[in-house]
Amino acid sequence: MDPLVIALVLAGLVAVATVIGLVVRGREGRVQEVNTFRRVTASELDTLERFGLSATLVQFSTEMCAKCPATRDLLSKTAFEHAGVRHIDVDVTSRPDIANSFNIMQTPTTLVLDASGAIAARIGGAPRPEALLHALAIAQKKEHDLYVI
Amino acid sequence: MSSNASSTKANPLAAKSGQPGIDPRGPRFGATITVVLLAIDVVLGLTGVSTQSGTTLAQRVTDPAFILLVILAAIFAWGAFAGIQRHPYGAIFKRFIRPNLAAPTELEDPKPPTFAQLIGFLVTGVGVVLALAGVPYGLVVAAAFAFIAAFLNSVFAYCLGCQIYVLLVRAGILGRKAA
Repeated sequence: MDPLVIALVLAGLVAVATVIGLVVRGREGRVQEVNTFRRVTASELDTLERFGLSATLVQFSTEMCAKCPATRDLLSKTAFEHAGVRHIDVDVTSRPDIANSFNIMQTPTTLVLDASGAIAARIGGAPRPEALLHALAIAQKKEHDLYVI
Repeated sequence: MSSNASSTKANPLAAKSGQPGIDPRGPRFGATITVVLLAIDVVLGLTGVSTQSGTTLAQRVTDPAFILLVILAAIFAWGAFAGIQRHPYGAIFKRFIRPNLAAPTELEDPKPPTFAQLIGFLVTGVGVVLALAGVPYGLVVAAAFAFIAAFLNSVFAYCLGCQIYVLLVRAGILGRKAA
């Protein structure tokens, strides 16, 4: 095969992988807009934990998740530092129904619920600390467009 | 250390913090070696007999691209079944690279990168099977997919194999049964 073609194939592979990596890096850990109104209940998460009075950080994890432990530390620390905020970790390794219900495409995924349990923001991947604070502000100020009460 | 993948049953998420972690730069170092070897394999694949149809089995198994992919699949299998802590690249990292680095800022659970090795083994294994069966370009395509995954791990610290896990759970292929 023509060496030029081989060089092009290799360059193409590097280019494709780089684009995927940049897209993933650009999206990871940032606040995603939530444009549907959904109120989450503890039974949907199959948890006995209580929700926070002002906001709840719901983390979805699996066993095979490189960034879940660090995310767990960040979210529990954030919850500890903010009054009325609680952190709930949901292991979906044995609960594909929960993962499907919330359309979890990657772990960790974090939902930030407001005081009423409505989803205010979503963060895919390990949250950036500033993005987490932004999401928390959205939930606590009830800024999201579809907040109905 | 005798941690097998099947040894934990009750809430593994809770148990993790007390377990010894691995330096996350170890698997990334290994992925970098894998990237280079897979790139070589793609080149060998494009110049060898694996892109042609009508080759004999003897031609296919003596193709350098095939031999290298078998070796790579075997190394992935080593990492997947012996655990990432016993990976040969990990031994190189421990002996020659890590002494020159600062202490890691965080440790990582060894299970996700071990699982990613299994995904690597499956992808390269499919390439080996396609090459054995004489499917033109099967080897190159499999090596290319593995290359992209290893590249993402090496350059972007993004573990594609780990991300696939939750999708396999959702598809009902993997995951623990609810108690």
